[in-house]
Amino acid sequence: MAVEVNRRSFLSSLGVSVGAALATAGGAVPVVGVAHAQDKPKGNIPDKPYRIGHMTFFTGPAAVLGEPMFKGQQLAADEINAAGGLLGKRKIELLKADENAGTDANVKELRRLKLSENIDFFCGITSSGNTPALGPVAEELKLLTIFVDGCTDFLFDKAVPNPHYIFRITNQQSADGVTCALGIAQTWPKAKRVAHIHPDYSYGRNAFDHVKIVMKKLMPPSEVVSEGWPKLGTTDFASHITKAIAAKPDLIVSSVWGGDYVAMYKQALRYGMFQKAKFASTIAFGVAPHAIGKDHPEGVLAGVHSNYHFTYPGGDKWPLNKTFVEKYHAKFNEYPNFQAEGGYMATYMLKTAIEKANKIGGGWPDDEAIIALLEGMMMAGPGGYVYIRPDNHQGYKDAVTGFSKNVGDYPFPVLDPDRIITIPIRNITAPPGWPKGDPTSTYTWIDKTWPVVKA
Amino acid sequence: MSVAPPGPRPAVSSARALRMAAPIAVALALVPLVLPPYSSILLAYGLVMAIGALGFNLLLGYTGLLSFGHSAYFGVGAYAVALMVKYLKVTSMELFLVGAIVASIMITALFGVVCVRYTTIFFGILTLALSQVLWSLAFKFFWVTGGTDGLRVPTPSLFGGLVTGAGDKITFMSHAYYYYVLIMFCLCVALMWVIVNSPFGMALQAIRDNETRARFVGVRIWPYRWVAFLVSGVFTGLAGALWVPLNGLTTPDIMHWTFSGEIVFMTVLGGFRSFAGPIVGAVVFNYLKTYAVGYTVYWQLLLGVVLVALVLSLPTGIVGTAGRLLARFQGRS
Repeated sequence: MAVEVNRRSFLSSLGVSVGAALATAGGAVPVVGVAHAQDKPKGNIPDKPYRIGHMTFFTGPAAVLGEPMFKGQQLAADEINAAGGLLGKRKIELLKADENAGTDANVKELRRLKLSENIDFFCGITSSGNTPALGPVAEELKLLTIFVDGCTDFLFDKAVPNPHYIFRITNQQSADGVTCALGIAQTWPKAKRVAHIHPDYSYGRNAFDHVKIVMKKLMPPSEVVSEGWPKLGTTDFASHITKAIAAKPDLIVSSVWGGDYVAMYKQALRYGMFQKAKFASTIAFGVAPHAIGKDHPEGVLAGVHSNYHFTYPGGDKWPLNKTFVEKYHAKFNEYPNFQAEGGYMATYMLKTAIEKANKIGGGWPDDEAIIALLEGMMMAGPGGYVYIRPDNHQGYKDAVTGFSKNVGDYPFPVLDPDRIITIPIRNITAPPGWPKGDPTSTYTWIDKTWPVVKA
Repeated sequence: MSVAPPGPRPAVSSARALRMAAPIAVALALVPLVLPPYSSILLAYGLVMAIGALGFNLLLGYTGLLSFGHSAYFGVGAYAVALMVKYLKVTSMELFLVGAIVASIMITALFGVVCVRYTTIFFGILTLALSQVLWSLAFKFFWVTGGTDGLRVPTPSLFGGLVTGAGDKITFMSHAYYYYVLIMFCLCVALMWVIVNSPFGMALQAIRDNETRARFVGVRIWPYRWVAFLVSGVFTGLAGALWVPLNGLTTPDIMHWTFSGEIVFMTVLGGFRSFAGPIVGAVVFNYLKTYAVGYTVYWQLLLGVVLVALVLSLPTGIVGTAGRLLARFQGRS
């Protein structure tokens, strides 16, 4: 680089801020929840139930992360049904499918849901191995779909570069790795020796790539001293933990998630891993909050994956979050994770698009009208504003991460409310018009446009 | 000496078998015309698996060797197609089938040399281990195989480009592709019938029933087993190739030993002691798993219970039990 850039000033130019106020958006942004004074829908609305197929992990170690997605959607559906249904007439009917059946069985099941059960809308999906398989199938079936997660960049970079029927609401995967690495650069800029432990599939490799590229730019003296690739769904991490510790790292980065992560941190405690090195995760607190025990170490960078943790925005700062958490807790007697927020949000974005389309055209809108209105929609939800980019049908929400801490009455650690890190999403993802890249567009964008900072 | 239980005995003449098979083939041909598209797509999956299970049963039912690694050959067929798409930009289904057959011949020939020297549990473990090697290659070499994301396979063109998948994919799969699978299925069934009723097939059964006696009458055990292994693997590889366009992509899941377990399950379900057993088993299993996954999150429990109930109550499988009931009924009347 011709001009030398200082790390601190570059981080602040990205808008990486600790404990900052919320960003604000102007204009009339629709909000989640059932409005008190609903407009009367125009035209004739059939009273046939609106059938939604919802696929997520109901069994296996991934269920502690994935199942809340269904609960989030169920909560929204119950609220909407209590007010009469979509456009006051069509009650939402949810059909469950278990994502744990494997990618190939999932493809079959999606076809069954559409062709045999005649679902109107498909939602869900946790694993990033599944959206590249199911996305093209949903397009073939001409089935309106909002994936809640399954956040691989690969879906809209490569598998379905010009989506029509499919959308995705949670952030792209690359944002996880970048957010985590920026949190590291902000907190432990002197860390040199870095060990990695990632699940051996696309999410893990994606996290690894993006943490690495950001560190190359912002912590140039750092080096990777160890790599561990446990299989997804494994519960034995001993060899990966000891290997990482043996490399004498300053910092251990991990993207192990769900029940796998719970098993990993408990085993890591036995080896004293958290005393031997700093620990940063892209997704530690992505599981349902109660799955993490009080024994979880404090002060680790505990990512929340798709930028939602139920404690942020906390208190009365953001009423949508407060009411969502209260309603969710009242219904399920547990706290929501990012998937629950995603499922809830997806349902309300769909509802909003249907209502707007009805206002314009009257009657029950066809899918084309709903799609046109979902494209470019911005909506306020529990976790903040979500914007759906028209060019790639991807939802964008500002990035959030933080540090684990035992706070107040929660029976599990949460994010330290005084040290929440937030980053405007547009500063860490490839913008519209940036060419599709390898391994991801965001990767090439960072590689080509970010400076290498002076220590 | 082999300890495998007695296997199929062709009690049916070829002419009689043809008379029994013809109405079934006609009924299968009518499916896309009378039932909704989803039924024929689902049945196509079942027929594809039936080809694979038929191949598998040449080893289990006729040669007395229980392979726990047939997922490998299914996967080789599927990945051969996917890699032809990725690197050679091929779209013709016929070329896919040729490629899959060549690839599965190469792999089964090699694996066969290692495996057929052993029988019983040793054979089973070796086949399982070798299939896991292939699985981990598909899993780990993600820059070639796509890792867990797998490789996508677009709609192929059939009959040398006469039928293309332009237009609605669901219509293509439920009609053109269904008939393509049905034709391949009929050819495979006929070919397997000829094989098991040939002197070669008889020799395999002799080996199964008593290895020592077979050797005394001059059957060369090792080469016969090796050829049976080869034929078995190629049938399963062909099933893999037909399966990929149906599924749209291939992932390492189909190379994993649990998928081998499903092939064993199908065959036991239908009954490995009859020619038609694996066919019926594969089709029934396909419905069973699809609906179990669709209707309950406890689908694994349901499949497990079915397997246990099956082994305890119907040791000869659906076809064996149906045959016995039929014989009793005919004896009474």
